[in-house]
Amino acid sequence: MPKVRSRLPVAVLALLLVALSLNLNTNAQRSAIDTYAITNARLVTVSGPVIERGTVVIRNGLIVVAGVNVSAPPDARVIDGTGLTVYPGLIDSYTNLGLPEPSPTPSPGGGLAALLPLPSSSPRGGPNSTQPPGLQPELMAEDAIQTSGNEIEAWRSIGITTALTSPRTGVWMGQSALIDLSGETPQQMIVRSPVAMHVGFTPLRGIYPGSLLGVFSTLRQMMLDAQRYRDSMAIYERNPRGTRRPDTDRSLAALIPVVDGRMPVVMLVNTEREITRALDLASEFKLRLIIAGGREADRVAERLAKQNVPVLLSLNLPKRTTPAMAEVDPEPMRVLRERVEAQQTAGKLLKAGVRFSFQSGSLTDTADLMANARRVIENGLPAADAVRAFTIWPAQILGVESQLGSIEPGKIANLTVTRGDLFARDTRIAHVFIDGRPVDLKPPTGGPSRNLLSGAWSVNVNLGSRDTSITLNLRQEGDRLTGSISGPLGAGEISNASVTSAGEVRFTVSVNVEGQTSEATFAGTLANNEIRGSVTIVGSSPGTFTATRSGQPN
Amino acid sequence: MKRFIARLLFLSIISTLPLNAARAQRQSTETLIRNATVLTITHGTLENTDVLLRNGKIAGVGKNLNASANARIIDATGKFVMPGIIDCHSHSMLDTINESTLAVTSMVRTQDVLNPTDVDLYRELAGGVTTLNLLHGSANPIGGLNTVVKIKYGRPASEFLFPGAMPGIKFALGENVKRSSQPNIPGVTRRYPNTRMGVEEVIRDAFTRARDYKRTWDEYRAAAGKDKNLIPPRRDLQLEPLVEILEGKRYVHAHCYIASEILMLINLADEFGFKVKTFQHVLEGYKVAKEIAAHGAGASIFADSWGYKIEAYDAIPYNAAILTRAGVVVSMNSDSDERARRLNIEAAKAMHWGDMTEEQALKMITLNPAIQLGIQDRVGSIEVGKDADVAIWNGHPFSVYSRVDTTFVDGVVYFDRQEDLARRPELAKERATLEQAEPNKPAAPGQLSPQGRRRRPSHESGDEI
Repeated sequence: MPKVRSRLPVAVLALLLVALSLNLNTNAQRSAIDTYAITNARLVTVSGPVIERGTVVIRNGLIVVAGVNVSAPPDARVIDGTGLTVYPGLIDSYTNLGLPEPSPTPSPGGGLAALLPLPSSSPRGGPNSTQPPGLQPELMAEDAIQTSGNEIEAWRSIGITTALTSPRTGVWMGQSALIDLSGETPQQMIVRSPVAMHVGFTPLRGIYPGSLLGVFSTLRQMMLDAQRYRDSMAIYERNPRGTRRPDTDRSLAALIPVVDGRMPVVMLVNTEREITRALDLASEFKLRLIIAGGREADRVAERLAKQNVPVLLSLNLPKRTTPAMAEVDPEPMRVLRERVEAQQTAGKLLKAGVRFSFQSGSLTDTADLMANARRVIENGLPAADAVRAFTIWPAQILGVESQLGSIEPGKIANLTVTRGDLFARDTRIAHVFIDGRPVDLKPPTGGPSRNLLSGAWSVNVNLGSRDTSITLNLRQEGDRLTGSISGPLGAGEISNASVTSAGEVRFTVSVNVEGQTSEATFAGTLANNEIRGSVTIVGSSPGTFTATRSGQPN
Repeated sequence: MKRFIARLLFLSIISTLPLNAARAQRQSTETLIRNATVLTITHGTLENTDVLLRNGKIAGVGKNLNASANARIIDATGKFVMPGIIDCHSHSMLDTINESTLAVTSMVRTQDVLNPTDVDLYRELAGGVTTLNLLHGSANPIGGLNTVVKIKYGRPASEFLFPGAMPGIKFALGENVKRSSQPNIPGVTRRYPNTRMGVEEVIRDAFTRARDYKRTWDEYRAAAGKDKNLIPPRRDLQLEPLVEILEGKRYVHAHCYIASEILMLINLADEFGFKVKTFQHVLEGYKVAKEIAAHGAGASIFADSWGYKIEAYDAIPYNAAILTRAGVVVSMNSDSDERARRLNIEAAKAMHWGDMTEEQALKMITLNPAIQLGIQDRVGSIEVGKDADVAIWNGHPFSVYSRVDTTFVDGVVYFDRQEDLARRPELAKERATLEQAEPNKPAAPGQLSPQGRRRRPSHESGDEI
């Protein structure tokens, strides 16, 4: 008896726990439930016609069934989908999500700084590479992916479940991975890796290639070297005895699938002439080219269609960022046209038969992504095709159409559930499923990407012995930060200002301390509507500051 | 003088308005220019003469020529027709000019970075220029590969390439190469070379390597037939163009200033058995004119620029005349998007300074640069069978009051003053519409009143169309 009695509370507790876990909100990451049914919802399957009122069942990370006469299995957690629309999980086909932020470097200004080589710590380099950082095709996004981060949360909160993520910098940038935006380990997140080799045309600093001229020659020389490395190795392996062993080279080895046309090459190009150059280089080496960016791709549409080159089209549409000022010359027509025409590119690509998918193009404000998709739809792209450009088209271009991109049995259970049409202005994301599990959604107003820094702040600066109060006016547009200070330390514009997605704020400003004008650097973090951090003034001992909100931006 | 200044101002305002592709297509394939004064370059000046352009070629030069019924007829009474001007030293339409990280950059190609929408091209057409020698900058003893283009503004870059032009390369000597104007940055090693001695050594080293490279490949090719397991030598994009120079398949265009370095390069070229095709700038060329002539090199120079750096102190404006009298083929180049619009005036200066004849002066911007680029069978004079690259001027091109009415490239109009003027209202209207578009609205609140806004013509401020 005592034994039984002692066991009973344990059993009760266990039952209670199970019940609790069942009752926990559906956002729990590590839920024991693996079967869900969303009933009575509008299903945009993409692979077939829209089902106005149907049920989709997912189990064990996969879609089981979707249709009209489908009933929820008894063990399923049922979500009433009345008034909701279910889409395949959206795919962002070019990001740096999950990859560490580059270490802060001085902004690439002109003058002497531009001539100096970068410190060897950045960008990241591979071990024992034969090539300097920036020319290392062997780098893999897969090796650097982290499972968490504000950006990943922000992206899936707008319904993005899957993203192509590529190393950030370089000429040969490295190899990308397609990741689901949820998982406990990097390995769980990876859907496919490597997906493609990525090429940027940004010259290196201080070393060859230091110009676009050199970038092209470097790409060419390394591809020729890779062809020779492949052939030399083949000769050596046929006849190792009596042949001098070639040096191994991981950089060249990584390029062999590229020059053999087995691995696609994503080139970051936007203007007509950049795209033309990419096409020429791809023809010269018979590469499997994918264009990323593609702002003026419509002007090369005929050639893109003929050569079957798809476009990862950026939704980071250009817009004027300067205020109206009397003393500034009108902008050139070229710029004015470019901003208007960028909205029409997607529609024109569709008409020309060029395959494309959408990507965020280093947009920092997630709200802009859907707003810009809306502008593209208003400028000639049918809404149903805009859905495709976020789902089945990227799945096809990235080679995962059997796993992703539509609501079909057997595909990965990535679903984006909205209240309202995906592209409507007031749509809310109701649920996001990734690999069959609901994920936490961050409220859309969270994080500094919503331009939270904009406004007037009253700042208390403590410089060791004394406190000073100044006023700080900030204006944030994405990751752009401008503003001014006024008060006892003087008045002036801030410069070198930056803000990260984690809310880290930095800027410098000229201040007047005890009659001396010096440069002050403010570095702090935004949390709970306060910016706290340190201030360094040249020639003074370091201090601290706290900024609290005092009003809206003027 | 006032008129002259006004004219210059006007020229600086005309800027853009290219023919778009569709308009170029609409151009007739046959044009008859009637009753002009024709500056043929090779056959003197012909009064009251017709020039017939057909299928991109000059099909006739003479009196009372007949054209087919659908030909465009231009009455050029009182006007001058001259060959399109050839600029033997240009950096227009290059997105980047220098790869300055290394002393030898023969692997880089200007053809990789062409920008066919560069508005300077249109301005050059408006100055009667039709062909450019696009050169790498002068940051390295051995620079990048050149590109010879026809200015087909509005067409894709691939259509600009001058078919059959000799491939070339930029060399450079002296201050630019020594990086004399670069600041010393503590902790940063200066790029070698830092002296003229080093410049010579860099070039000698490069050609020594090129010679070895050629030998390695020759040996491999000879042996590869017998031994299937031979690993081929590495293809080296830096050395391949230098081998082409040694084989006489690529022209050297060498930027230089002072007499001693010119002699140095001549000796070095003799040592390796290649020729320098042109000395560029060559401000002290007059001191070694005989040696340049004996080497068989051309000279591509400025009319009267001097004193802008130490190595330019010994320049004299008689350089063109002295070199020409020594038997050197001399051209006047711009090396500047601005000067390129008025190369006619640069050539005219040679008549003023050195008593050169009108024909000699005209040749310096037409036939002579054509010879220096190996395209003299195609362009550089008005002769039947040559390319229809011509410009109609409203007066003699050596007058500062003259301007270009129409410029043809391969028989197609790429600049027309009347069309340019006619399009301006249309562009102003387009600008007004574009400025109202959502993405072009100012970012911040606070709209300006229209009066507060400084207005300029719709076709200015770097427009390209």
